[in-house]
Amino acid sequence: MMRHIWKLVWNRKRANALIVIEILASFLVLYAVTLVGVYFAHNYRQPLGFSYDRVWLVEIDWQRESIELQPELEEEKEAAMMRQLLTAVKEFPEVESAAAMSVVPYSNSTYSSGFTWKGRQVEFMFNRGTTDTAQVLDMHLTAGRWFTEADAAGSSFRPVVINRRLARELFGTENPLGQVVKEEQDKVERRVIGVLEDFRKDGEFSGLQSYMFEHATLGKSKGGQPNNFVLRVRPGVTAAFEEKLTGKLRSMAPTWGFEVKPIEQMRESTLLWQLIPLTIFGVIVGFLLIMVSLGLLGVLWQNVTQRTKEIGLRRALGATAGEVYAQIVSELLVVSTFGLSLGILAVIQFPLLKVVDFISPTVYFTSLVISLGIVYGLTVLCGLYPGWLATRVQPSEALHYE
Amino acid sequence: MLKNYVKIAFKVLLRRKFFTFISLFAISFTLVVLMVAAALLDHMFATFPPETRNDRTITIPYVRASGEHFESTGNPGYGLLDGYCRNLPGAEKFSIFCSHAPVTSYVNGQKTVSYLKRTDGVFWEILDFQFLEGAPYTNENEKNADFVAVINQATRQKFFGSGEAIGKNIELAGERFRVVGVVKNVPDYRQIPFADVWVPISTSKSKVYRTALRGGFVGLVLAHSPADFPAIKAELVSRMKHVQMNETGFNKVEAMAETVLETTAREVSPRRREGNAFELLAAGLVMALLFMLLPTINLININVSRILERSSEIGVRKAFGASSWSLVGQFVVENIILTLVGGTLAVALTYPALAFIGQSRLFLYADLHMNWRIFCYGFGLALFFGLLSGVFPAWKMSRLHPVQALKGGVR
Repeated sequence: MMRHIWKLVWNRKRANALIVIEILASFLVLYAVTLVGVYFAHNYRQPLGFSYDRVWLVEIDWQRESIELQPELEEEKEAAMMRQLLTAVKEFPEVESAAAMSVVPYSNSTYSSGFTWKGRQVEFMFNRGTTDTAQVLDMHLTAGRWFTEADAAGSSFRPVVINRRLARELFGTENPLGQVVKEEQDKVERRVIGVLEDFRKDGEFSGLQSYMFEHATLGKSKGGQPNNFVLRVRPGVTAAFEEKLTGKLRSMAPTWGFEVKPIEQMRESTLLWQLIPLTIFGVIVGFLLIMVSLGLLGVLWQNVTQRTKEIGLRRALGATAGEVYAQIVSELLVVSTFGLSLGILAVIQFPLLKVVDFISPTVYFTSLVISLGIVYGLTVLCGLYPGWLATRVQPSEALHYE
Repeated sequence: MLKNYVKIAFKVLLRRKFFTFISLFAISFTLVVLMVAAALLDHMFATFPPETRNDRTITIPYVRASGEHFESTGNPGYGLLDGYCRNLPGAEKFSIFCSHAPVTSYVNGQKTVSYLKRTDGVFWEILDFQFLEGAPYTNENEKNADFVAVINQATRQKFFGSGEAIGKNIELAGERFRVVGVVKNVPDYRQIPFADVWVPISTSKSKVYRTALRGGFVGLVLAHSPADFPAIKAELVSRMKHVQMNETGFNKVEAMAETVLETTAREVSPRRREGNAFELLAAGLVMALLFMLLPTINLININVSRILERSSEIGVRKAFGASSWSLVGQFVVENIILTLVGGTLAVALTYPALAFIGQSRLFLYADLHMNWRIFCYGFGLALFFGLLSGVFPAWKMSRLHPVQALKGGVR
């Protein structure tokens, strides 16, 4: 049966070649969009690692007096002012807890770092937080602990907190607590004191990344001060508090700039900007698929009317309507399978060659299944009406020809 | 002859309405997407007020400072622009402004965020803002560090309601400015002029920007003619060799003069180092062609089917001596007529599409309109699309054997 159908398809290879190309092209386009969609959905289900509820952000813009003169002195003055400001923020009855950090969730800035570890390059995102950062953002630690004030008092090593992914990357199945992460060019050793569930700074749709936190002390430190405060306000605190808070901060440091906003607001715009391209491409691909389906429907319709003689002859020789129907649909399935096989061959190169290694094989496979399902579904749908038309062909009509 | 083809074309279109619908759907959808893309690009790069002289302007938006251990890229600093970029050969005017940044204000307890741009006085001479009230501030204001501001229409509405704004005070990030002018809104996809509020650079809280070589500022050069661009670029490169470095860790600085198109090309290029406007255009064209691929195959498929349906007509014409070429011509003309009808539909559909994008949150103060340039793109695209999807089916049709065609049996 299959061989026979294959022969029928092969006999009309010129006409079918165009359909094959069309199915191949639509599959590729659909696959690309589905891949991004599935990737987002997959990421969405991973733990975020922090909570943004009632969390506000204060962005601080230090206006330095000069760039050339004694940067150490400037930094010390800045650190002292930052400590005063943070204390002032904590004193507000509206504020539950407050902390300073370098890179806040949903901000545009990133801070990446990397080093050679056991002969290979390890890349990770880097951040600094004070003693209360984990509490303010409600970050979960799966092992060990977050920084404490005791860590600030000059110990012989620099404590760091890493996320599970980085722990796996560096130490495999070994217990990461107490392990030493030493950079080759760095004289002070870094020691892991805690493991975070995760910290996905760019939010729900972003991919999983390795992450490292270092202790920010708002004192003498190498590598700069964090220039943001995060604070968790008490339930029921309204936007009116923003003005009050900004006013207080401005009065304390008149030459500095302050921006206060709820992180919720930044979350909305970040997610919106991640979804907009997907939505635009999704709509375009949707229309393309409708267009292709309609075109396919037209072509098949035309095919059936053109093959009246052949179909009529089959009916006259005793084929049932169901058999004719099955023939039309299975021919179509053979053609689309051919096109889709080419498509699978093309897209399977990505996971095999590890071109984009941050997308997991599960995501590749799921989106492959989804797009195959959609294309098969649409082609079968397009074949239904022409198939039905073919069953209406009267044997006598066909035999009347010529 | 052509008249006949046109007549036949319309008859054929009306004969099988479903097919005509499929074709028109495909054509108009494809053209709407391409025309919307063309309209967006046109609004980003073509000449619109206030950038009425943008064929003669070139910007200095990018420096790369490097030392032994670091490299830093970003906007140049005021010190670099002020100290080394003035009086370039072929330059008529030179302005310095900083890239816009959000500032918070509280109007009757309500928080509003506006985009603030700090500029010098020349900025208003190079760009042609449409003033609704008052006038721009001048270099004199910049020199005296006067707290004056030009605001746009939307900001006037937010702060002062429907009334006049001239002479009133506006509070931005805790500082008070006196409003001296109100301009029409400028959309945020025009990066050079865009802002809600413009104030003199010298009103900055700290004066450290005056000597900084890196950070936050953009230079805007108005040349006598576009022919001066190469000389300006070359002179800038050579002047950068004599820059006195004042930051530890850096020993070299490079700056580039770029047109807006070149800036965009640099920003989307993978290494973000140099932008080639020609490559950007080529990439855009390739993307448009790739996008047209699927609709074209689709249309070819439909067209091939439709010809087969008309095989007896072709047979008759061939039997009476029509050449293959005249048949090809006829079919291509028919297809172009079809795409032009689709193109007309597409133009009609582009209006609501642009209106939809305009009122979405994608852009601030978007003012997207159809204009004759976009119309011409659309017309050209429709012609091109018609040719692309018509030639292969026409060639296939012309090869039909008359006897076979007359019988109506084709493979």
